[in-house]
Amino acid sequence: MKAENKRTGGLPRPDYALANKIETLPEELYAYLLVVPAFLMVGVVALWPLLETFSMSLHADTLTGITVGEFVGIENYVAVLTGQRAVVLPSSLWYAVGLTVAFTAVSVSLETIVGLAQALILDQEFRGRAWVRMAIILPWAVPVVVQGMMFYLLFEPSVGFLVAPLQELGLFSSTPLANTQDSLILITLSDAWKTSAFMALIILAGLQSIDRSLYDVSRVAGATAWQRFKFITFPLVLPAVLVGMLFRTLGALKVYGLIEVLSGCQTVPSMSCLVVSAFRSNRYGTGATLAFFTALIISLFILVYLVKFVDSLRDIGGDS
Amino acid sequence: MTTAQNTEIESEGGPFTRWVRNAIDNPGKVHRAMFYVALVFFLFTTLFPIYWLVVLALTPNNLIVDMGVVPHGFNLSVFAELWELVPLHLYMFNSFVIATVTTVYVLLVSSLSGYAFGRLEFRGKGGLLLLLLIISFFPPAAFLLPLFKLFTGNVVVFGLHSPNLFNSMGAIIIPFSGLFLPLSVFILTTFYSQIPDGLEDAARVEGTTRFGALFRVIMPLSAPGLSTAGILTFIAVYNEFFFSFLLSTGDPENGAPLVWGILAFQGQYASMYNYMAAASLIGILPIALLVVVAQEKIVSGLTAGAIKE
Amino acid sequence: MNMHVQDGEFVCLVGPSGCGKSTTMEMVAGLTLPTEGDVTISGTNVTTHPPKDRGIAMVFQNIALFPHMNVYDNMSFGLRLRNFDKKEIDRRVERAADILQIKNLLNRKPSELSGGQRQRVAIGRAIVREPEAFLMDEPLANLDAKLRVHMRTELQRLHKELQTTIIYVTHDQAEAMTMSDRIAVLNDGELQQIDPPLICYNEPANRFVAGFIGSPSMNFIDGEVTADGFDSEFVSVEFDPVGYDVPVGTSVTLGIRPEDVYLADDRDGVLYPTKLIDTVTDVMEPMGDEIFVYLLHETRETTTMDESQHRSKQLLMSVDSATEISEEDHVAVFLDRTKLHLFDQKSGEAIAHGLETSTRDHAATQNTTPKN
Repeated sequence: MKAENKRTGGLPRPDYALANKIETLPEELYAYLLVVPAFLMVGVVALWPLLETFSMSLHADTLTGITVGEFVGIENYVAVLTGQRAVVLPSSLWYAVGLTVAFTAVSVSLETIVGLAQALILDQEFRGRAWVRMAIILPWAVPVVVQGMMFYLLFEPSVGFLVAPLQELGLFSSTPLANTQDSLILITLSDAWKTSAFMALIILAGLQSIDRSLYDVSRVAGATAWQRFKFITFPLVLPAVLVGMLFRTLGALKVYGLIEVLSGCQTVPSMSCLVVSAFRSNRYGTGATLAFFTALIISLFILVYLVKFVDSLRDIGGDS
Repeated sequence: MTTAQNTEIESEGGPFTRWVRNAIDNPGKVHRAMFYVALVFFLFTTLFPIYWLVVLALTPNNLIVDMGVVPHGFNLSVFAELWELVPLHLYMFNSFVIATVTTVYVLLVSSLSGYAFGRLEFRGKGGLLLLLLIISFFPPAAFLLPLFKLFTGNVVVFGLHSPNLFNSMGAIIIPFSGLFLPLSVFILTTFYSQIPDGLEDAARVEGTTRFGALFRVIMPLSAPGLSTAGILTFIAVYNEFFFSFLLSTGDPENGAPLVWGILAFQGQYASMYNYMAAASLIGILPIALLVVVAQEKIVSGLTAGAIKE
Repeated sequence: MNMHVQDGEFVCLVGPSGCGKSTTMEMVAGLTLPTEGDVTISGTNVTTHPPKDRGIAMVFQNIALFPHMNVYDNMSFGLRLRNFDKKEIDRRVERAADILQIKNLLNRKPSELSGGQRQRVAIGRAIVREPEAFLMDEPLANLDAKLRVHMRTELQRLHKELQTTIIYVTHDQAEAMTMSDRIAVLNDGELQQIDPPLICYNEPANRFVAGFIGSPSMNFIDGEVTADGFDSEFVSVEFDPVGYDVPVGTSVTLGIRPEDVYLADDRDGVLYPTKLIDTVTDVMEPMGDEIFVYLLHETRETTTMDESQHRSKQLLMSVDSATEISEEDHVAVFLDRTKLHLFDQKSGEAIAHGLETSTRDHAATQNTTPKN
């Protein structure tokens, strides 16, 4: 009788109906149960909006309230792609695409080079390394709005000391923040300032996973420092570099906040800027078309990188 | 290190550029010097914009002309006065609430799915992880219009209007909870999978439920992973611009976050550069402290989250 | 598979890896759900009960101590979950720590313990629960050989003291033989035999059990039943097939353990020997107290690797270490008829254990050649 009691002991008898169901669920079903909340959340804020965006993109603008008009098929896409909607937007779609891709290409290249250099420095042993690493991470943690404000204050002609000399050199106009080309350069610099740190961290992790004995082997074989970098460090760290580049490319293609703070969407109309402009002028059909088109372009980049990444893993014989 | 580099350079003959030959007298020193030059260069470029904010904040506004790299004056009162112009503390408080609620919610949900992805076997695991990854890549602009429609009560499901959350913290917290979830899931998947096998079996035989095993044994053991995921989510939310800016009208009473607080200076007090700089510094401060305190976790989290997948 | 474990019994589930013994254990514990069939503990059908409501405690192969809790917290975890009062928890933990001699370790973390200490704590965590039954899944597998033997005797002592049912999974037949009241031999998810160790040893239900239990393994010689008994290229044994209910012409396997093979001059003490078999010694393995001698068919002078793999062509014999014998010796040996086993070659089922009875009148000492 005592034994009977002990079997359940002081454990409160669970209400078997539901609790017991979960306990005796096969592992696979239990796993599905656990991922349901995450996918519910993601479904509501990402999957459904994506589909809804697509559906809205097939309807006409109404300009009144938060609605779309009648079904127009791909008319919006045709209009947007042929530049017919450019009048109501800061620029034509292709101009925005070109500008955004150019920004992405330059800023990601810059960040990769700077990040690689920073990572190579952080990979060395020296006194105060932890502090240097902290300083290098810091920009990554700076809010976008502050980042924009910093560069605004650096390059606002009435404040900063940098504009006048650059202007004398003929590099900048007198009002760089109102000039598309100058602003684009500043936005690129600002983006590189903030996110090189991210690249550096990713690449550093790649560097530190390289088997150090490979360097000893190559040193014995008589390789120079440059050869060691070229034949060992670089190929082995390449997957990490590509992952970093993928993340940064996708981030750069979304650029919006920095532009808004630094020089405004009229000056530097990125793809996201167009979506926001259409949204602000109640052009929901056009906005959705632009948004979905932006998503498509980004998917294209994802695809290219995924293929590249798998290839580079195969090159070094990685099996993951 | 120095000795290693000495031998490196001594042993290499021609293929290096000319400076190597010039440096043959004392190659180690040159190498070391270059390293420090690069180090100082990066420290300078990294920290200068922040230093610039300090310079501007300390200089009284009427003296902000022809600025060099040192402050013209030492005016600390700006840090006391700026609160009267713009209630920055309210905006920051809102950001804190939004970031905290989002972080707690994300940790809760990603703990469950991270556990499933990291420790259980089920069909479609790879596909679902890939789906999460791809979603985190999409531009927020692709989600904006429907979410705005949803939060303004314009989505009708079975005759029920969606709740009107626009211009409240809810309209910002909900998108964040979904969009920052994948990173957390990836980090926790990595951490959970590293915990020794069979601990949850032991816990269940000892008398916990399945959830009990997760909360009493698995989660305490991956506390480092949870704090990493939490810190990264918090920083990401605190720093976010797009939804913070577009799903709010900027009224601090209605939950407008830091973005609006900083922009308020640019808008209303456009020529008061010392206030802008001071507000920016204050805006960075909490995150800078977090970086100092949790450097290790941030590094491990970013690399785990990115490299793993 | 159907298995009844008596109250207070020590039962070993034994079998090669992948035979389903751990899965069986997980089903008893409730960690895996059976696709069909029931699990009953103390007369209650617990098939759909979660592990926590089954009144069982388990010791895992990987020990599975909670790394973030100290020894005391690990041991008292289950009791605290059940809201036992502090005094009772202390009493039980103390008693278990006493039995296992780990009293001085209660405040340590698992990472500060040696392998053997961790194992004791894991057992302690099971003991304090005072469960209906202990499930032990290869608890000694990760210990070194010496410690394993030591822990074996400790477990037996523990069982004697607690008198609680123990179901013990192992792939080590020696562990199963030495500790258990009954052994359940599993293969491919099927229960082969469940009997006390000596019955499994002396009367194996089939060829699998015969080969699995005992080390070194039993000799098997494939052959055929003739009107005069068992016949093969190597060994022939006379018996009356009618007495054993085996039709003439059946393909059978003869089984004999190495210790039941004797040299010709050791005939004293063996009541029912077979006729002599002429062999030549091959490899010898001196073990100290005995020597394992591999015997080959007389007519073959040497053997290739390939042939020696073929077990029907060789015979393993264990002899006293004092025996004077060396490689390449020509020796005559005989088998103890009472220890012979016959298995059906197709099904592997045992046909007979001991072939002495029907051939008693043949006066086995006579060396007659079998007629064709």
